[in-house]
Amino acid sequence: MWRSHLQRFLKRLHLRESWVIFFVLGNVMLNFPFLKIFNQPTTILGFPLMYLYFTLGWAISIGVIYLFASSAEPDQTEYHSEEQAPR
Amino acid sequence: MTLNIYYVTAIAVGYAGLLFLVAWYARRRSEQGRSLVNNPYVYSLSIAVYCTSWTFYGSVGKAATSGIDFLMIYLGPSLVAFSWFYILRRIIRISKENNVSSIADFISLRYGNSQLLGSLVTLIAVLGIMPYIALQIKAVVTSFALISGVTHRTITLPGADAAVSFPTSFSLALILSIFGVIFGARRLPSAERHEGLIAAVAFESVIKLISLISVGVFVTWVMFDGFGDILTRFNHQFPELFNRLFTLHPTEGQGFIPSSTMLFLSMGAIILLPRQFHVMVIENADLRHISKAMWLFPTYLFLINLFIMPIALAGILQHGGNAGADYFVISLPLAAGSSAMALLAFLGGLSAAAGMVMVESVAISTMLLNNLFMPIIVRITPKQWFPILLINLKRLAIFFVVFLGYFYYQAVGDSFMLVNMGLISFLAALQFLPALLGGLYWPRGNKIGAISGMALGFLVWCYTLLIPSFHAATPDSTIMLHGLFGQALLKPTALFGLTGMDMWSHSLFWSMLFNVGAYLICSLMLTQSDIEKEQVRRFIGKFETERRQVKSAAKRLSKPVTPPQFVALMGKFIGPDEAIQAMNDYLKGRMIDSETSVPEFELPAMKRFVERTLAGSVGAAAAGAIMDSYLSDMGSRMESVYDIFSTVRASLDQSREALYVRLKASEVINRTLDLQTIMDELLQLLLKEFRLDVALIQIRSSSDMPLTVQSYQGCDRRPISPEHWFQESDPYVKMAMIDQTTHFVNDIKNLQEIITLPKTEAERFVSFAHIPIYREGEESLGVLSVYSKSIIGLFTEEFINLLTSLTGQLAQAARLASEMQAKERERREKEQALLANARVKRDMEIAEQIQLSLLPDKPPVLFGVELAGRCYPAAHVGGDYYDYFKRDDHTIDLLIADVSGHSVGAALIMAEVRTLLRAQSSRAVSPSSILGALNSQLYDDLTRAELFITMFYARYSAATGRLSYANAGHNKPLIHRQGQQSCIELDADGLILGIKPSIVFEECSITLQAGDTLLFYTDGIPEATDQAGELMGTGQVCQHLAQQSTLTVDEIADSFFELVKEFSQSTTLQDDVSMVVMKIVS
Repeated sequence: MWRSHLQRFLKRLHLRESWVIFFVLGNVMLNFPFLKIFNQPTTILGFPLMYLYFTLGWAISIGVIYLFASSAEPDQTEYHSEEQAPR
Repeated sequence: MTLNIYYVTAIAVGYAGLLFLVAWYARRRSEQGRSLVNNPYVYSLSIAVYCTSWTFYGSVGKAATSGIDFLMIYLGPSLVAFSWFYILRRIIRISKENNVSSIADFISLRYGNSQLLGSLVTLIAVLGIMPYIALQIKAVVTSFALISGVTHRTITLPGADAAVSFPTSFSLALILSIFGVIFGARRLPSAERHEGLIAAVAFESVIKLISLISVGVFVTWVMFDGFGDILTRFNHQFPELFNRLFTLHPTEGQGFIPSSTMLFLSMGAIILLPRQFHVMVIENADLRHISKAMWLFPTYLFLINLFIMPIALAGILQHGGNAGADYFVISLPLAAGSSAMALLAFLGGLSAAAGMVMVESVAISTMLLNNLFMPIIVRITPKQWFPILLINLKRLAIFFVVFLGYFYYQAVGDSFMLVNMGLISFLAALQFLPALLGGLYWPRGNKIGAISGMALGFLVWCYTLLIPSFHAATPDSTIMLHGLFGQALLKPTALFGLTGMDMWSHSLFWSMLFNVGAYLICSLMLTQSDIEKEQVRRFIGKFETERRQVKSAAKRLSKPVTPPQFVALMGKFIGPDEAIQAMNDYLKGRMIDSETSVPEFELPAMKRFVERTLAGSVGAAAAGAIMDSYLSDMGSRMESVYDIFSTVRASLDQSREALYVRLKASEVINRTLDLQTIMDELLQLLLKEFRLDVALIQIRSSSDMPLTVQSYQGCDRRPISPEHWFQESDPYVKMAMIDQTTHFVNDIKNLQEIITLPKTEAERFVSFAHIPIYREGEESLGVLSVYSKSIIGLFTEEFINLLTSLTGQLAQAARLASEMQAKERERREKEQALLANARVKRDMEIAEQIQLSLLPDKPPVLFGVELAGRCYPAAHVGGDYYDYFKRDDHTIDLLIADVSGHSVGAALIMAEVRTLLRAQSSRAVSPSSILGALNSQLYDDLTRAELFITMFYARYSAATGRLSYANAGHNKPLIHRQGQQSCIELDADGLILGIKPSIVFEECSITLQAGDTLLFYTDGIPEATDQAGELMGTGQVCQHLAQQSTLTVDEIADSFFELVKEFSQSTTLQDDVSMVVMKIVS
């Protein structure tokens, strides 16, 4: 059940526009003024806010790329995708 | 603590040995066809060559001094990974299609194979990468010094005298160069993948990751009590520094680089740095690897950066400040007394540096060779030793690249932090960005724009970054303080008065402004050349397959080149064996004989193939130059195909004009059935639409007839004679007739020597074509010949196809016309025959009438005798004849005769017989003498006509009742005497008339009684056959006569006719039936 939902979600993810959106989004999040939100000398559980933001944000972005790449069918004419939906 | 220098050296050498082993094994596996590196994991690890000693040492230093913004260098590439699926894939696909060997190749290829652009990219790459290599040398030398405790720049071996001391950095540069040569310049073709190199680099990536994580784990959990512990202690000890390191400070001013600058630079660097382009594009084995690498590579970056911050903080805690922070990775384990960990860190750093230098030097040496050396070398005539020269030049270039970095290190070395040195290189590489992205996505971007943008950006970079970097040690030099020529506006770090920015952002702003600006303005204002336009289609348009590109090739070779010539050319650059192999592979799928000449339409494709193969070794720009100079040596060149169809026909298979002509032609053909009109109009159409000068059609009416000119249109319409100039082309025409393919000459100067056309040449014709007219599977009907005086290279594949289809239609029309003609002829012949037949029939009917009128219309009246005569010819005319002559009131002559055959000849003879008899009958001679005389008179005629006559002649005297008679071989007449059953046969000796010139006939006589019925008849009665083939026979005739004897003579005669018809059961007679019935009544 959830699997088919996931597949449908992945299919939607694989739009030519989606990588542009992610790319722009990433750029926005890594630049001022967005960075200013996290540019605070505060700590959460002893970890500086900025450090956590970068580390977690990065990990999440890798996850997104993973989903994106897994959903991406290489050009129909060329190869058959060897990637399957994530298990 | 330090380690023994021998020990460290031995470990380093051992590690190098391991690398060689890995490379060797990978190469062996690839030769066996079981590639070790052909998978997405190795591909991702090889991209991780991005992480150099900058990452390994410099990141820690950066983290310890300016804080968390060091991550930007890795976040940028990670972000760009989103775009790989489209941009990188496209770049790789174009590169593979064109055998691109470097980023310089790629960019110059897009802008029309520009050598200047290639050289410029190379120059920027060489100078731009200089600080980067210096960075590696610096890092390794310093780390080596740290770990071995040697603090000088020269190493004096312990226990030896000063004479054997040598500089560490110099020897390192030497070693790195040798590495580069061994891994990257073993063989020439540089577009080929270096499996050994990639395996080594991937291996090194693993080592540096393991090494850095190990050190991180060691520092975090062995030296300290976890990351939390480090953070707490650090926050406690340096609260101010803690806040500064974990926040960004965009307005800090000089020395601090804003995070956005670093982000932007790193985003560009991941693909634009020559080594990154090399591993990502040139060494890519399979496009499918990209989608895995898209997240594997960012994961690698994430992992390798995980412990940077803890190490940096721990280093500060340990050392009490950030002095020497670049080497915390080594100094921390050393301080903790763990020599093994320190050694591992050293090896990781060595890996990072060596991997980068190896790939970078290979990539840049390829660029140097292809884009700087080659343009000079190609001016020399190719020699057999070229491959050796080229490979050694490449090796030399590797040394050159590494040592350029070495000299930069010597000059600038200690005044910069590692990261800041690296960023200088990043900014240089970024100058490629506008041209590359514009080339991929902006159709209007042109060569001038790319060159001017890149050159301006490069100059700005030199002035605002490279020159200041040399003066970093002396910040108070004149140029730095007061600008060039004392102009404050030209101050390198505050160009045009722009202050308040750090050096890198400042340089980034100005160089990009000039670069993008010039690129846009020049591209918008100037036009592209033809070559560029073609490349734009290849880069931006839909990816076309090779064949379709060839189809739309708008160029032709003015003089054909054969495959062996191409092989000889390639052999001089890539070695003869490889050249033969490459050509054989190419020819395999194309049905081209490797020895003879190549079909003209195949030539551009083959030329492109050769160029591509050469590009693999010498770069696209040089390959183009080699090809051009080679062709011009041959006396050939690429020239534009005359565009017969004036509209652009890039992707359409047929232009509008071709369709129009086809339409017109079919109109002409369908309008009339008259072949002559069709041919004339078709030729006129061709002349009008295609600027031909002469068009003519020769057709033969049947396969054994010679060709004759059926239609001739165009200039020079002198009488067609064997001396006419077009007759010279007869061999072509005959060839076209026989092999049913078009024979054309696009330039009369390139004629094969066997056939010379002096008259045609004298008429100033330059190109011509002969197209056979035939229907599929049938013999050729003729040939369409077209000649042009003005256009060389008129006959493109498309044009020939059009002409062929027209002749196909013409053949169809000709076939139709000849079928119509044949039908018409047949109909007329039938009509004629019918007419003739009717005339003959009418003649025969007339003859029948005449013949019938020659027979007596009614018998003479003689007392005591009743007579009836009948004649039924089988055909219109017959040879049967009977007649009576009344001599006096008591005497009557009667005769019956049969001329052999039923022909007109027989009828004529019969008429002659009648004439002769009429003349005879007046004289009172006996029947036998009449027959004798008749024979002698007719003999000549009968012999000539090969006919003969049987005749029975009788004379009856009513006064005496006596019948005297003579017989010339005729059927014996029958007498039925009342009361008797049998018949009397009247017999007399005598030969058939016409056998001998003179015959004597016996004369007999018989006395008739009243009631006697006589039947004179011809063979038509007794020889009538029934269906079983049985004859009627005389017996049955006699029987019938006896039965019917009581009837009147007319009834008897009619009953005999009925008898014959009944007997033969047929409405038509087999033979003429004639009879005379005579009854004696008193």
